[in-house]
Amino acid sequence: MSGLTTSALNAEAIIEFRGAGYRLPDGQQLLSNISFIVQRGETLVLLGRSGAGKTTALRLINRLVDPTEGEVLIEGRRTLDWDAVALRRHVGYVIQETGLFPHYTVEKNIALVPRLAGWPDLQIRTRVQDLLGLVGLDPQVFLKRYPHELSGGQRQRVGVARALAVNPPILLMDEPFGALDPLTRAEIRAEFQELQRQLQKTIVMVTHDTSEALLLGSRIALMEAGDLKGIYSPREFLHSNEPVAAAYSEQLRKLEDFERRQ
Amino acid sequence: MNLTQFFSQHSSEILQATLEHVWLVGATMLLAVAIGVPLGIVVARKPWLSKPILGSANVAETIPSLALLGFLLPLPWLGDRADRLTITALTLYALLPIIRNTAAGIAGVDPAVREAARGMGMTSRQILFQVELPLSISTILAGVRVATVLTIGIATIAAAVGAGGLGEFIFRGLAMVNNQLILAGAIPAAILALGADAVLSVMERTLRPAR
Amino acid sequence: MTSVRMGRCIAALLMAALALAACGPKRGETIVVGSKNFPEQALLGEILAQHIERRTHLRVERRFYLAGSYICHQALLAGRIDTYVEYTGTALTAILHDPIEGDSAAVFDKVKQEYMQRFAFEVMPSLGFNNTFAMVIRGEDARRLHISTLTEVAQYAPHWRAGFGYEFMERPDGYPGLARVYGLQFAAPPRILDLGLLYRALLDKQVDFVAGNSTDGLLAARDLVILQDDKHYFPPYEAVPIVRKDVVDRYPEVRDAIDELAGKISDKEMQKMNYAVAGEGRDVADVAREFLHTAGLD
Repeated sequence: MSGLTTSALNAEAIIEFRGAGYRLPDGQQLLSNISFIVQRGETLVLLGRSGAGKTTALRLINRLVDPTEGEVLIEGRRTLDWDAVALRRHVGYVIQETGLFPHYTVEKNIALVPRLAGWPDLQIRTRVQDLLGLVGLDPQVFLKRYPHELSGGQRQRVGVARALAVNPPILLMDEPFGALDPLTRAEIRAEFQELQRQLQKTIVMVTHDTSEALLLGSRIALMEAGDLKGIYSPREFLHSNEPVAAAYSEQLRKLEDFERRQ
Repeated sequence: MNLTQFFSQHSSEILQATLEHVWLVGATMLLAVAIGVPLGIVVARKPWLSKPILGSANVAETIPSLALLGFLLPLPWLGDRADRLTITALTLYALLPIIRNTAAGIAGVDPAVREAARGMGMTSRQILFQVELPLSISTILAGVRVATVLTIGIATIAAAVGAGGLGEFIFRGLAMVNNQLILAGAIPAAILALGADAVLSVMERTLRPAR
Repeated sequence: MTSVRMGRCIAALLMAALALAACGPKRGETIVVGSKNFPEQALLGEILAQHIERRTHLRVERRFYLAGSYICHQALLAGRIDTYVEYTGTALTAILHDPIEGDSAAVFDKVKQEYMQRFAFEVMPSLGFNNTFAMVIRGEDARRLHISTLTEVAQYAPHWRAGFGYEFMERPDGYPGLARVYGLQFAAPPRILDLGLLYRALLDKQVDFVAGNSTDGLLAARDLVILQDDKHYFPPYEAVPIVRKDVVDRYPEVRDAIDELAGKISDKEMQKMNYAVAGEGRDVADVAREFLHTAGLD
């Protein structure tokens, strides 16, 4: 299997999984013996079916769960040695349902972590406006709006802005565009690519959408039933003979064939 | 003498009794909220505790109020002063709606919001005070409202054990077979209950966050 | 609604609640007189109230028909009333939870001392009568047989029928103790009658010996005789006004007014007043006013 742990020896491993596993109290094994690294500045996509363990793996990174076997290292330190709260403020987190606080304005939502970190008010206000501009929302219009007044796409943009508020080096995204309609989804994806180029963050993204994975990922980690099947560059993935990877590629090709025949 | 004349003649007594009543209810509600809301939070956090905690509150609720007052009467420190006794019994009654509503309110917070809050690095306490409680305040207030109206009603019965308040007019009126006296207690009590209900309803509605 | 704003709302509400609760209405110069819930108590309360009104410049509020000793006591403790009339025997057993005794002076002293010590209540001198249990027979029998005491009755008891209320039958300090102390044995077990029917049954000769209260109204209005309790079996229930110490300290004129009533009401006077209210249906305030006038207290 190509693309595993020892890819580029010079690249800095900002996140490392060493034989990490997670078992539920009732005995169900959600994740088994996962080992890989994430290099600084890359976008690693965790691709797989529902139940593959991708979200669990993601949540091991910001200690929303702790591994029952093995360990996870962030910036060279075991997650268990990090203070959980400090770690989470160091890592941006975007989820599918966004989870914006309904009782906070857009401004207060984005300002959350800076406020917790004790930033001065003026600095927070400036930062919020900059972030809104970054995600393509006019601050004049959106600062004082409430989440229930926004469309799905607008909400997700605010979610991303919120995650970037204190400029964390790492960004975790769990199917961030999954709840959006296809048109909005495509729009946001394109904007996100631009954002990736600008910000150069280390991103770990969970998705079950093949085209999204190919488009946004610098590498793709394929997961199935709690196991890591392999890590591929997009090109390697498309041409891989590994059965699961091949199945995904086949699906994609079928869609392209359909389009061509129209 | 018609009823209006009776009321205006005895206005200071009626006001006095009303204030006694308000004091009983106010002290009870403060205690009940101080005990009930934290218990509700505990139940929301640890669902396995819901049975013992809600179960006990339910038992207290089920005992008829006069019987509960009667149980507490012979106890050494409690039974010596009618107000201690009454506030204890009333608090026990007020607990169930408050605990239940607090637990429901907090458990009803959108899990995505809680997940996002945790993921962003908020401590449990920060999540409780900045997210969970503000989002459940409307539900909690609904419980407080029910408890308050309940307490105003049961406080009238407490006059039977010497607690004073508006119930005393009612009992005296019954003993003297004097309807005006009975109404002097019943009408203000009803107004208090309706008033409290209205005020708290308005607060409930204003504080309900738009979804 | 931010947590800060919510916190402020709650704080405001709390303060309003506390402010409301803390301010009792300014009582000003008012004395509140309480009473229990039967006519004799209302009469005594009214006498107290009217006399205080007449002798002092203070306003008097009446809070009568409170249902029982415990409630009156609680009201006095909480300051909701300033005074009411209690019976020494009841104070001793029901409030102080001390064992009952027969000697009226001893009981009075004990009650006076403990009430001041435990509650800061002043026990004023007796109003003059003793509302204790009364063993009653028809006047004609008393005269014919020349009996005036319970000891003398013992020899006739086997020929007589007795009628008692349910409570008197059951209380250990009621019939059981009485029968034991005076050696009473009646022809048949005593009939249990409703309190209201006892005297009628006695007058209709359905029974010959009943237990009533010494201040019952009918005793003044009919040819009935109370037998003397020469062995002092029944505990004393002297009527004494109880007042909060802080009230008499603040208004010494109240103590003076109540003092004037000491010893002014005899058993017979009380019976007559009770009959006027319960038997003739007269207004309590009128009967009280009449009494004060007749006693030269107005």
